[in-house]
Amino acid sequence: MPDPARPAVVELRGVSKEYMRDKTPVPVLKDTDLDIPQGDFVAVMGPSGSGKSTLLNLVAGLDRATTGTVTVAGQELGELSESKLTRWRSHHLGFIFQLYNLMPVLTAFENVELPLLLTSLSRRERAEHVRTALKIVGLQERHDHFPRQLSGGQEQRVAIARALVNDPVLLLADEPTGNLDSTAAQEIMDLLQQLNEEFDKTIVMVTHDPRAARRARRMLHLEKGTFVETEVDALEARR
Amino acid sequence: MKFLPYILRNVMRNKLRAIFTGMSIAVSLFLVTVLYAYINVQDETGEKTKQFARIVVTAKQGLTFPVPIAHVDKVRALSGVEAAVPLSWFGGKYQDEKIPFGQFATDPEQINTVLSEYDVKPAELAAFKADRGGCLVGSRAAEQRNWKVGDNIVLKGDIYPVTLELTINGIFTSESSTDQLESLWFHFTYLDELLKKDRSRQAGNAGTIFVKAASPDNLGDLMDRINETFKHTDAPVRAVTEQAFRQMFTEMLGNVQAYIRNVALAVVISLMLVAGNAMAMSMRERTREVAVLKAIGFTRFIVLSLVLVEAILIAMIGGAVGVLGAKLLFAMRDIVFRGIPGISGFYVPWSTVIFGMALAAMIGLFSGIVPAWRAAQVSVVDGLRKVV
Repeated sequence: MPDPARPAVVELRGVSKEYMRDKTPVPVLKDTDLDIPQGDFVAVMGPSGSGKSTLLNLVAGLDRATTGTVTVAGQELGELSESKLTRWRSHHLGFIFQLYNLMPVLTAFENVELPLLLTSLSRRERAEHVRTALKIVGLQERHDHFPRQLSGGQEQRVAIARALVNDPVLLLADEPTGNLDSTAAQEIMDLLQQLNEEFDKTIVMVTHDPRAARRARRMLHLEKGTFVETEVDALEARR
Repeated sequence: MKFLPYILRNVMRNKLRAIFTGMSIAVSLFLVTVLYAYINVQDETGEKTKQFARIVVTAKQGLTFPVPIAHVDKVRALSGVEAAVPLSWFGGKYQDEKIPFGQFATDPEQINTVLSEYDVKPAELAAFKADRGGCLVGSRAAEQRNWKVGDNIVLKGDIYPVTLELTINGIFTSESSTDQLESLWFHFTYLDELLKKDRSRQAGNAGTIFVKAASPDNLGDLMDRINETFKHTDAPVRAVTEQAFRQMFTEMLGNVQAYIRNVALAVVISLMLVAGNAMAMSMRERTREVAVLKAIGFTRFIVLSLVLVEAILIAMIGGAVGVLGAKLLFAMRDIVFRGIPGISGFYVPWSTVIFGMALAAMIGLFSGIVPAWRAAQVSVVDGLRKVV
């Protein structure tokens, strides 16, 4: 259960999302309320088309709710213009994608440095941040490797370092183990768990993988745009 | 600047495509640079001739009509004239050369006063004046044919039905590499005697008269007086400044400058399409990466700028190869184009290099606008869904 003493990083109030398909509105999320406090690690599960990715996109400010409000780190995202929202993301969010989405032309170091190019940090300060992030994910030795020279698990760790490097308040992971074998998937989940427990990072993870979901503190189940079960304390279940 | 390494990596992301695009820009801008250099050299040379205060007298009907040689003395007699010489293009063939170099029948007594930018050793000039069958050759003409003082050469007439047998009395040089050092001067009287012997109707006529005014001021007045002097004769003339004469000479080929500008414009437009297509292809392949950039905080403006700078860089690299290649090639013209006549005075001015590079930047900018705009508009959600 969320700790009421900790401030909510994510607040969804009456959020609905509809897409238009052939001029017909198709509801994806229906009147959803959600609170995710600081330091929480939430796994969102559900079948394809249940609205998981839409939920993640709304929390990330990549998409806008049809109705309701999405507030992240105290900022109501609907109030921000497109460019302000983009800048806001660079300071508050870290993204981890299923397909890693590293820039193939950049080394691990340069990929991790990418979000820092948007800050006013000096080159030396940027290098320090990057080295720290790569150290956390255990890839400081591979800093000069290009993505093609890394395994899938290593690529995902570089992607996690990129998501971390700005010290965001919220990490959003979209199927982070979906493209990995079970060993690499376990390593990635170990890392995410470590980030949550040791670094107090708030994480929202969308996954199909029950094993991955069990590593979170809480599991939420979405079906046809609605949370069908109340929160399951995954950490307790795991214990 | 901090984005530059990323941009450079993207430039070389698909090496083959980058090389082909860059080379198409390089080759085309090489041609445009050479064509524009031609215009600029004409302009610069024309400007330079102002200091020599020279007037060129041709037949009023045009350059292809003769000017009687008797006109030369009448021009010399006018006040404000320092010197005047006939200058007739002989256009003879030397050995197996297909294109004749500049061979001019002139007056040895005053030629170096009129064309004062050329340096001739006094002894060689004196020998030239004293030798009716003698000639002076430009240093580049001599170098290209391994001529030295004392050599005998034969020029077979094409326009004139006579053959000249000449002895090289000296070699003239010039401080400016753009001067006509690929020329040869010989005695007008020698040519005229041969023509008279041959009973040619061309005898007694000069092609043009080059006049050196005593002062660069009042050239207009002197030209008016020259025109007036021959107005009511059988052979009226037209006196123009040397600058205007050069321009007129060029325009005999038609409106060359307009042709060049139109060709250059067509090349630039086609290049924009080629480079734009390559850039659009590149960006289509990177839709997902653009979506990631936007997800992690790169604004539309930054994405737009990154793509535009990339497009400009590709075009500038190609442009540098083409434009500076042209500059370098013609700087080494004596080695590269050895033996090819007509190249000796040609060069690529820095103004043309700057123009060429600006053109390259413009090609890059315009070729990048559409792909950059489309990249900036990529929706993060749709872009991340795209699997290339």
